[in-house]
Amino acid sequence: MREKPEVERSCAELDRWMERYQQADPQAPAFLVSALSPALLRFFRSQLANPGQAEDLLQDTWLRIHRVRHTYRPGEPVLPWIYAIARRVRVDGYRRSRRINVHETAMEVLPERPAQSDPRHVLPVFDALVAALPEAQREVITMLKVGGLSLEEIARATSSTVGAVKQKAHRGYDRLRKLLRSYAEAAGGAQ
Amino acid sequence: MNCENINRAIIEGSTSPLTPEAGEHLRTCAKCRELVGALKLAVPTDLPSSTVFREIERGLVADLRPVRPIAPKRYIFVSLMAIFIVVAVLSLSRFRAFAIAAMTPLQTGAIFGALAISAGLLAYSLVNQMVPGSRYRFPPGKVPLAVTILLMVSIAALFPFYEERSFWFGVWVCIRGGIPVAAFAAVPLWLVLRRGAILSPIMTATAMGLLAGLAGTTALEIHCPNLAAWHILASHLGVALIAAIVGLVVGWAVENWKLIIRP
Repeated sequence: MREKPEVERSCAELDRWMERYQQADPQAPAFLVSALSPALLRFFRSQLANPGQAEDLLQDTWLRIHRVRHTYRPGEPVLPWIYAIARRVRVDGYRRSRRINVHETAMEVLPERPAQSDPRHVLPVFDALVAALPEAQREVITMLKVGGLSLEEIARATSSTVGAVKQKAHRGYDRLRKLLRSYAEAAGGAQ
Repeated sequence: MNCENINRAIIEGSTSPLTPEAGEHLRTCAKCRELVGALKLAVPTDLPSSTVFREIERGLVADLRPVRPIAPKRYIFVSLMAIFIVVAVLSLSRFRAFAIAAMTPLQTGAIFGALAISAGLLAYSLVNQMVPGSRYRFPPGKVPLAVTILLMVSIAALFPFYEERSFWFGVWVCIRGGIPVAAFAAVPLWLVLRRGAILSPIMTATAMGLLAGLAGTTALEIHCPNLAAWHILASHLGVALIAAIVGLVVGWAVENWKLIIRP
């Protein structure tokens, strides 16, 4: 909660840069790309895209953002606008990869738990942790944790309601609890 | 304090600093302790390669020119509703208003009220679908279904059910009259919608098809004096449903065509 003023300030800053982008300020693309790409890349990675795919999706996202930049309304929060586009790019990317039958099983079958050299290390990395969640819950938790979006912003980005987002997050966290317990028990047994 | 409260605290981002009650719960609940611990771990930062950064920036700067932000929501909403009303009214040049004379004031008010509410809901949903990240009061995927159910219930409640001798002929005549009106409405609706960013062509085209079809339904409700509920459901509402299905198919084709041309 103590970080909120800084977060709000940076969101306001993003909104201002987005307006400058619409006005064709040549510095705006560089600022927006460097400010938003790491979180977007992490968003794609945690949605089970491999590094190469994630970078392709990132490029597609920026191209699409560029094409539809006139649809951003000054004064509106920019993050839900960006994530709604990124989310759609991810869905299209998934469908395209399924169509060409390359990564057919990547999104349908949950990845196996990564092998850990030290069995006492019970906490898996974020991606491995959320990979076990159903897609809708994984998406919400990634946006909360990685994107730093509020419930209201996630609702906007996912064309949903705040109530539905809250419910998905609750279910996701309940599932993560069970998962972490099973990791802890497995690690305890291995010792 | 219980696990549910901890969930709420995590979701609302208030785990840091922990309240004394939350801290007390974490001391006794291993599951919550593990969850909070896992979420407190920093998520590794991913940075795109410098080549990717440069490519993206170059692509954006190369085609950088000022753009005018899309019109405010209320203007687009008014435009969509105006198209719906104008097309329905223009259809009077082709059809006569026989149905108005045949219906009771209650039937007239209720059916046109239901059509206006349905068109308003669809227009509102379409306005939001044009701008990514809009705030939705109703999930956009469910609006066409809700509108269809609303109209079916309204028709079933307002008009009597009875058998007709030339039922299918009557249905065909009305559908043949209503579809051109729907097609006529679809063109300006599409011209307005193409200004936005359509992220889900299937959902948007279905809603647009249904709105265009409702213009045809309204025209038939003004014109057709046949007040049998089965007839109205099958032909007048049928026009809207046919238009929605056409929209769905077009949306599906657009979505898949996009995937095919960019494998």
